Amino acid sequence: MTTPRSKIGPSGFDQLFSGKAENQLRVKTGIVELDEMLRGGFMPGDAVMLAGSAGTGKTTLALQYLVNGVKQGEPGIYVTFEELPDQIHRDAKNFGWDLRKMEEEDKFRVICTSPSLVLETGDNSLLDDVLRDIQPRRLVIDSLSHLEMFVKRDDMRMEAYRVVRYLKTHGVSSVLLWESPQISGGSFSVTDVGLSFLVDCIVALKPVEIESSMRKALVILKMRGSDHDKRLREYEITPAGIKIESAFTNYEGLISGSPRKVASEKFMELFRGASEKQKRA
Amino acid sequence: MSGGDVLSTLLASEIRADLLVLFHRNPGLIDTVDGIARRIGRTSITVNADVGELLQLGLLKQKRIGASEVVYLDRAKDRQILESVANHLKTINIGGEK
Repeated sequence: MTTPRSKIGPSGFDQLFSGKAENQLRVKTGIVELDEMLRGGFMPGDAVMLAGSAGTGKTTLALQYLVNGVKQGEPGIYVTFEELPDQIHRDAKNFGWDLRKMEEEDKFRVICTSPSLVLETGDNSLLDDVLRDIQPRRLVIDSLSHLEMFVKRDDMRMEAYRVVRYLKTHGVSSVLLWESPQISGGSFSVTDVGLSFLVDCIVALKPVEIESSMRKALVILKMRGSDHDKRLREYEITPAGIKIESAFTNYEGLISGSPRKVASEKFMELFRGASEKQKRA
Repeated sequence: MSGGDVLSTLLASEIRADLLVLFHRNPGLIDTVDGIARRIGRTSITVNADVGELLQLGLLKQKRIGASEVVYLDRAKDRQILESVANHLKTINIGGEK
């Protein structure tokens, strides 16, 4: 006769120790390779900064995160300060994401507003109604950089902190887009107003020039309370969204803006060259 | 208000038609009257009366956020209004006679 197992009994502990339970709690981006880099996904309720310059695919990655959330039964909100929802709908459709249908099903909302209204304080917050209506698990702000137009430089960190705390209080896992003209140099400074300390995770997108062609690199610069992939991974914007490729293992200096082949690769190239010459001789 | 009256109110001016198109294409828009006016390339003085009419009709809603008054589309009311206009249009033929 076997002893009946409790629902939270040994199997639960087995999962916990094997890391499976923790993995199940992660907020999956739905981009398999990115989830692997994040060891399962973002931590629930975390504020994630997605930083990069124009054209790196911040909006695409953020939308993909929300759309994949809806597919997993997690409603999402996209807050935009720049583009009208109409444009967001059209661009998303190019990737095969029907946001209008998701909106009709109350699983998704594109909110278009002015950054100054997000900064208003009082009994009512701009997002109160929509948070109540669709009870999102995920939210994207495109972009936090826009707040800079309405806030004094010294107040930026405090205002961003208020926004982050508001979302955390509502149990929403947020992705905050940040327009970084460049992410380079030894300090890895993503913002110059100290916002990197406010967020739990930073994913940076960076264009890199290698052998006279522009390629794109993704790196996780920070992830509070979790291990993560430290390598720079190449990615592409495909008709189905962001696709993450292999790591730039043969190059160094990509972040500093001076990519060069690593010594071992240079040696291999010399060796291959010499071997070719020998064959021809 | 009958479907015909609603239709007349909605299309009473060019600005009102512009506002309708803006909010229908962008149902998640939440902004001040000034911000909305800018989005259709006009000034708040010129759109104030039309926004007021759409608020009275119930198509738009207003709320206070801090020191600002914002307006936004009432999606449920919008569906009702569309239905009433569609029903009205079904009752008239191309020549305009019932």
